[in-house]
Amino acid sequence: MSAVTKAAKPRKERRGLTRKTREAIAFYACVSPWIFGFVVFTAIPMVASLYLSFTDWDSFQSPNFVGFANYVKAFTKDPLFWKVLGHTFYYACVSVPLSLLIALYLSNLLSNNFRGKRAFRTIIYLPSLVPLVSAGLIFKWLLKPEDGPINAFLSIFGIKGPAWLLDTHWVIPAIILLSLWQVGGGTILLISAINGVPKELYEAAEIDGAGHYRMFWNITFPMITPILFFNLVTGIIGAFQVFDQVYILTEGGPDNASQMMVPYIYTTAFKNFQMGYASALAWILFVIIMIISALVLRSSSAWVFYESEVKK
Amino acid sequence: MNNNYKTPGAKARRYAILTVVSAILCAPLVFVVSIALSSDATTNAMSFSFFPTEWHWENFIRVFDSGLPIGRFIINSLCIVLPACLFMTLSSALVSYGFARLRAPGKDILFIIVLSTMMIPGQVLMIPQFILFRTLGWVNTLLPLVIPNLFANAYNVFLMRQFITRIPTELDEAAELDGLGYFGIFTRIILPMMTPVLAAVCVFTFSANWGNFFGPLLYINDEEKMPLALGLQVLSAQSSGAQTPPWNMIMVGSLILIIPVLIVYYFSQKYIYESGLGVGSAGIK
Repeated sequence: MSAVTKAAKPRKERRGLTRKTREAIAFYACVSPWIFGFVVFTAIPMVASLYLSFTDWDSFQSPNFVGFANYVKAFTKDPLFWKVLGHTFYYACVSVPLSLLIALYLSNLLSNNFRGKRAFRTIIYLPSLVPLVSAGLIFKWLLKPEDGPINAFLSIFGIKGPAWLLDTHWVIPAIILLSLWQVGGGTILLISAINGVPKELYEAAEIDGAGHYRMFWNITFPMITPILFFNLVTGIIGAFQVFDQVYILTEGGPDNASQMMVPYIYTTAFKNFQMGYASALAWILFVIIMIISALVLRSSSAWVFYESEVKK
Repeated sequence: MNNNYKTPGAKARRYAILTVVSAILCAPLVFVVSIALSSDATTNAMSFSFFPTEWHWENFIRVFDSGLPIGRFIINSLCIVLPACLFMTLSSALVSYGFARLRAPGKDILFIIVLSTMMIPGQVLMIPQFILFRTLGWVNTLLPLVIPNLFANAYNVFLMRQFITRIPTELDEAAELDGLGYFGIFTRIILPMMTPVLAAVCVFTFSANWGNFFGPLLYINDEEKMPLALGLQVLSAQSSGAQTPPWNMIMVGSLILIIPVLIVYYFSQKYIYESGLGVGSAGIK
């Protein structure tokens, strides 16, 4: 470090600035693109959104301050709000754990070395790369009630498939089905996590005579909990913000049976022009996501295992 | 894990399970290819088969003079994606260099802000952002989809900062002795060493914007200004009338939306893995 300071000295004299000041100037010059983007596209919109949530703005006339009326309306006067919130919970609480379990199972099958490993991994990963618009269009086809391939397949076994996207009870399972099709992304992450587990642990366990299931539950599973946890948190946050699938498959129908928070906010703001109420809904969603993330983070110490804790 | 699945029975069972799962996951894509290769007659009769029985590869050329503005959609998508890839990657790299290497008062607070903005869902911002762009007169132009993507975003900054902290600082110090300033160190030393993470961020930016549906849905009304992702959905939704949309052409469009993502991922796998993303989160190792 001393050599560096010496070398910097001539320049310091030249510009009349201390090294510290120059470094600070350089830092702010470097981070200025982020600061600009943050202020213009995040900070100011956040404040504006919070303000709007306390107004009755309809995007045409000037907004009037209405206090907590929008929030009160959501929780007490808007029956659709509870329905939509329930659907969102239903979707998130089924699709996220289910795809995590499937990803865990598949990654366990795929993490070893065996013939055709690469081919299987690629095929399983492929659907998760498909843009949601394409995926949505594909599933709209697959799920057609009369002649759709899924129901045609079920009829081979004598099962009469439901009307899926047209059936109020089956529409959310249909959207969950689409999310399960893209299980490969999580699987790939878990495979690399499993491959990162030190081999010595398995060798030691084998000497002790542990079988496959013991090894999985006592070595693999605890060692990859940080990644599982990461997938769980990001998955839940993502599931609460689901939009594309719902909009493309059903636009919230039939009879709002698949309406979820973000498409509902979109409809409220840009179809019904209740900008104030929609802003309040967006903030409610934000707070819900924060609470869930905090709960998951809190609970994590009970079951997430960090390698560094052992080294202490 | 070499000790699992040793017995022939376990091996066979694993192959059986993986084959069934792969077949189920592949099936929708097979069906898309089958529709995309169907003739117009099959399309009008809606008598698609699951496996391709006709091979009308010329559909991939016909789609550009079929009267559907798919060529236009692709150009619009490229106008959004290419500037985003270039500027998002470079600006995020510059910002992350600042956070990783330079000391300044207020830096820690700014970095906490970076981390916390990663948690803000876009929906909270969508209404005021829409108002902002409407005030600027940018609605129904590509600008709201291009401009915000030119400025470093929190997730990429975090990712790249983690990467830079693994580059030895001795390199910076040596370069400084040779008379390089902070910007020189960034362009000559750090940036060349960041190739894997630059590629990874570029790929993520590409696929996020190429497939983006929500943004264009908010801002674009005219069909000739739509990017491919929105355009396809609009074309397919026009089916509600008496006439069915040309599904073979729409599925060709869908494949055009899918294929670049697959190609980009295939060639960037190595970089994504090297940038440390293969392990999932920075916390594990």
